[in-house]
Amino acid sequence: MSEEATIARTPPTARETVALAAQVQRTTCVLAAAVLLGALALPWLSASYATTLAIEIMIGGIFASGINLLLGGTGLVSLGQGMFLGLGGYGIGIGTTVLGLPLWLSVPATLLVVAILAAGIGAVCTRTRGVEFLLITLAFSQMFFGAAIKLRLTNGSDGMSGIPRPDLTFVGLNSDNPVVFYYYVLIVTIFAVAAMRRIISSPFGSVLAAIRESERRAAAMGYAVGRYKIGAFVIAAIACAAAGVLQAQYTYFINPDSMSWQLSGEGVLMVIIGGATTVAGPLVGAAVFVLAKQGLSIVTTEYMMFFGIFFMLVVALFRNGLVEALKAALWSKS
Amino acid sequence: MSALEARHLSKAFGGLEVISNLSLTVPPGQRRAVIGPNGAGKTTFLNLVTGWLTPTSGHVLVDGQTVAGRPEKVTQSGIARSFQRNMLLEDLTVMENLRVACQAVHPCRLVFWRSKQAFADVIEKAHRAAERMHLTDILDVPVRHLSYGQKRQLEVALALCSEPRILLMDEPAAGTSPQERARLINLINGLPKELTIVLVEHDMDVVFATCDLITVLSYGKVLATGTRREIQDDPTVMEAYLGHRHAGN
Repeated sequence: MSEEATIARTPPTARETVALAAQVQRTTCVLAAAVLLGALALPWLSASYATTLAIEIMIGGIFASGINLLLGGTGLVSLGQGMFLGLGGYGIGIGTTVLGLPLWLSVPATLLVVAILAAGIGAVCTRTRGVEFLLITLAFSQMFFGAAIKLRLTNGSDGMSGIPRPDLTFVGLNSDNPVVFYYYVLIVTIFAVAAMRRIISSPFGSVLAAIRESERRAAAMGYAVGRYKIGAFVIAAIACAAAGVLQAQYTYFINPDSMSWQLSGEGVLMVIIGGATTVAGPLVGAAVFVLAKQGLSIVTTEYMMFFGIFFMLVVALFRNGLVEALKAALWSKS
Repeated sequence: MSALEARHLSKAFGGLEVISNLSLTVPPGQRRAVIGPNGAGKTTFLNLVTGWLTPTSGHVLVDGQTVAGRPEKVTQSGIARSFQRNMLLEDLTVMENLRVACQAVHPCRLVFWRSKQAFADVIEKAHRAAERMHLTDILDVPVRHLSYGQKRQLEVALALCSEPRILLMDEPAAGTSPQERARLINLINGLPKELTIVLVEHDMDVVFATCDLITVLSYGKVLATGTRREIQDDPTVMEAYLGHRHAGN
């Protein structure tokens, strides 16, 4: 083979990727627009049950997006993100019911406290990697879980009730109305997903991807890898806490279960089902997770067993998640 | 003042002293080869200079200043290296590998609120790096699809992206074809004259074609330093490393 041929040789699959990248992007835009329109029209199209499920999907989606910044973005598998979900809920719970602060102050204060805590916890956790990282994040979350059960401040295992929803009377709306609350969650979700998308495509996000691919190379390039990992940990925590705020407002209630490792695990499942490589993955994963759980629980009381089988099938058939599988399907048609 | 100086450098792993009392001076702009049999401590020497390992004793000085610290700090201070085994961002494209590498020395590296595409000067720099390394035809190809030789080229290209004053290369020619080696030689010789280069290499054709001065390491010590002829005529070197084929040239 001649010298030039060696250099110019591009595998056909790679060349196809390049040629179809623009087309995939167009399709993505159309799909995203369709989903957004559907989401906007949903309360008029369907029964209130669908709105309820959609709220759960969106909250799960924000939570999973936070997890995905670590898992897909940076290559860190955390089993402790439930801790931040719970801290979000407890934060506004304590802020409003214990300290008597208004909600508009409690929410940013909660997110700020979570960010500071996450920086500290992240500084410890990101010194490890792989299974150690998973275990140390789990340990931290169990610590907060234990504290939430024991502390009088958080009302122990009974949890805190009376968590307020936003006061929208200034625009003539009542957020206790499920449809109004749905739109509130939808707006927060759109903002959260847009922010996550921007972060992933930013210079900072590209360093996270470099760390995921090769931590040593990222360091050799001149990046202070530890700081970037802590940064990712903080942003992920804020996203998870935002989901926790919405969750607590949705149920008017927060209890230690929201900090359980099971919940952290469910978030990881959502990311894996949807796919860790895209921004849409966690949302799709959350949708499939919530709908499958609901659907199966209608059919059988032993739904967890069938859910387990379902999950294994998804992982076995679509190794990179449903979004990548969908992309591949669209690609082969064209 | 020397660009790079090692002063009484030692590194022991347990009882095994891999580098022992090594002193070496490389003046600015020099192209220095470091050769030696396997296990002579060549890669360990590079690891000590670039912060991947901490010396047991001794110092590394760059432009007269002691260098100590983590790899990213060493890179930020103007020393870059390529690795013996490819260490690339395999799932990302060639362009993204180069862009991230160029971004590391750009103030935007901590920006998370703007798109990376907004920083045109970083992208421009990545394009120039690609041109220099003849990678322009494969910019959009994920690195995992590249041939081994192309990966070796990218390995060196990434080191150059931080615009170093000192470039350390760890066996850039390892496993490449004769054509690729010829290309590599042209490339090294085409680099700016003021760039100081330390080249660890087994391939003598590459060493002789690119370097002014050769340092031979053996068992963590400097056995000899000299020009091609001096090294070839040195009986201790002949015995330790070169063998009779090259020595007889």
